[in-house]
Amino acid sequence: MRNREIPRGTRDLLPDEVAVKRQIENKASKLFRSYGYEEVITPTFEFLEVVETGTGGSIREELFLFMDREGGILSLRPEMTVSIARLAATHLQGVGFPQRLFYMTNVFRHVQPHLAQYREFWQIGIELIGAAGVYADAEVISIAINTLRDIGLENFKVSLNHIGIVNGLLDSSGLSLDERETMRRLIEEKDLVELSALLEQASIDDGLKEAIASLPVLHGGIEVLQRLPQLEKNETASQAAKDLINVYELLKMSGLSDHVVIDMGVLRGFDYYTGMVFEGYSPDLGYGLLGGGRYDNLMGKFGLPLPATGFAIGLERLALVLKQREPEPERLLVGGRNYFAVIAKANDLRGHGFIVETDVEGLTKEELEKKIAANPTRTLIYVD
Amino acid sequence: MAEYLTIALSKGTLLKPTLGLFREVGLPTEGVEPESRNMVFTFENEAIKYIMCRPTDVPVYVEQGAADLGIVGKDVIVEQGKDVFEMADLKFGYCRFVVAGPSAMQGAGIKDLNYKRVATKFPVMAERFFRSQGLQVEIIKLHGNVELAPLTGIADVIVDLVSTGATLRENNLIEMVKIMDSTTRLVSNRVAYRTKHGKIQPLIETIQETVKGGDGK
Repeated sequence: MRNREIPRGTRDLLPDEVAVKRQIENKASKLFRSYGYEEVITPTFEFLEVVETGTGGSIREELFLFMDREGGILSLRPEMTVSIARLAATHLQGVGFPQRLFYMTNVFRHVQPHLAQYREFWQIGIELIGAAGVYADAEVISIAINTLRDIGLENFKVSLNHIGIVNGLLDSSGLSLDERETMRRLIEEKDLVELSALLEQASIDDGLKEAIASLPVLHGGIEVLQRLPQLEKNETASQAAKDLINVYELLKMSGLSDHVVIDMGVLRGFDYYTGMVFEGYSPDLGYGLLGGGRYDNLMGKFGLPLPATGFAIGLERLALVLKQREPEPERLLVGGRNYFAVIAKANDLRGHGFIVETDVEGLTKEELEKKIAANPTRTLIYVD
Repeated sequence: MAEYLTIALSKGTLLKPTLGLFREVGLPTEGVEPESRNMVFTFENEAIKYIMCRPTDVPVYVEQGAADLGIVGKDVIVEQGKDVFEMADLKFGYCRFVVAGPSAMQGAGIKDLNYKRVATKFPVMAERFFRSQGLQVEIIKLHGNVELAPLTGIADVIVDLVSTGATLRENNLIEMVKIMDSTTRLVSNRVAYRTKHGKIQPLIETIQETVKGGDGK
């Protein structure tokens, strides 16, 4: 009998958990709307072709796949950026750009479930479509920081990088595509041991070796860029570094740079990122809270070549580090023998913002008092 | 209150060289003894804590963030596939993963192992290796004394960790293929590396320098 089980990696959310979830969603959506972002909803499942057009083949093992009756292969959405790119390219062409969109939704990945990692989990995020350049990047990162702040998080950090730096350095290195892919992965995973072993064998310039080896550990203020003299010799990388400095300056002007660190090891897993990338962390959780970046080639794959940038926050992870709960209005229980008077009283109190239950069991005053004594989260109002 | 740096240490054979390295880089080690039954050592002045773990548990503590750093063999990291940063090769605790078989298989190559039965304590590692070679094998997971498997006939070959190879020879087994080398690694939690960067990065650099300087000793 499996009638008491739920599939591995899924969850029932009980009232207290939903309250925290809604609290986060309400604050975030209020903030997103105040910046002009509008909510969209896409199908829970997409054609596999859509998902793979966006994320590349690397995510295939994590997809929940099934077939429709016409023989199409469907995938539960593993994230939202690709679906939103498809939606914007299909439906919003005539609307004018930049477009500001947000979502709050469940996504699905077939991963090994552990703390803060489920197979069905919730993401909230924004996408800013049709704007290139550092101002758009700065807006998106500002909103990410302000969301964490509004929700009540302290001490969090957002690590910022521009993947043009690592791509520029690697692509001009003369290394094979395979080697470059492996090195990118090792930098992202901060596998310093394997990376240095691989670099030792590689027949490339010593200065470049040193630069690549230092990428995973370059972490700190904007001045860490000065520890990469190789940047000047490389056009792509130096342009990327300039963008990174500009975004940092804009965030500083917004008074947000206290939360920002530069981390050359942040590359993000998805293939679609092309520029600025960032991740958010809290010291209270061993896993990242949010991630995002610029993806200028994704929209083009759906027929509308436009630059875009955005981020997503993992809702469950945020809930784990959220300490303060918003106080709820007081809870009352209204009872009495005169049904009309009870209803009138209850409605009046609801109008004043209380949460009001009415007695539906026809209890006497003494019985109601006993009930409240057993569960004192409510206050009794007895209408004589 | 000072922010503690928590390090998960592997009990057993790795502990002694670990403590030796810690003394060299100036980390506190006073009272940390291999025989001690304490599971947690706290050094208030240095704001450092050690958690004593079974080696196979170290990646778990680090991945979950219960420890910021960990000292553990590459063999354990590979087998568990945990999401941790591998910051330095500490060079001690050398061993290697090998495929070994009865001496009668002398001269047989890796391709002769297709569809054979493989006994091992490291099923993930073994499965991945054979798959990457385009071979299919039946993995038989054992918890110890893997060398017995070919002798008792429950498997054709074994995948095991070997340091000197003496145990293989005693059981009349020969090393057929080396899968990979393993040494002890310093690993870091993904988030702690960033949120405690000011403490972790200098420590990693000191350790890297010390290990490099100690080469060939």
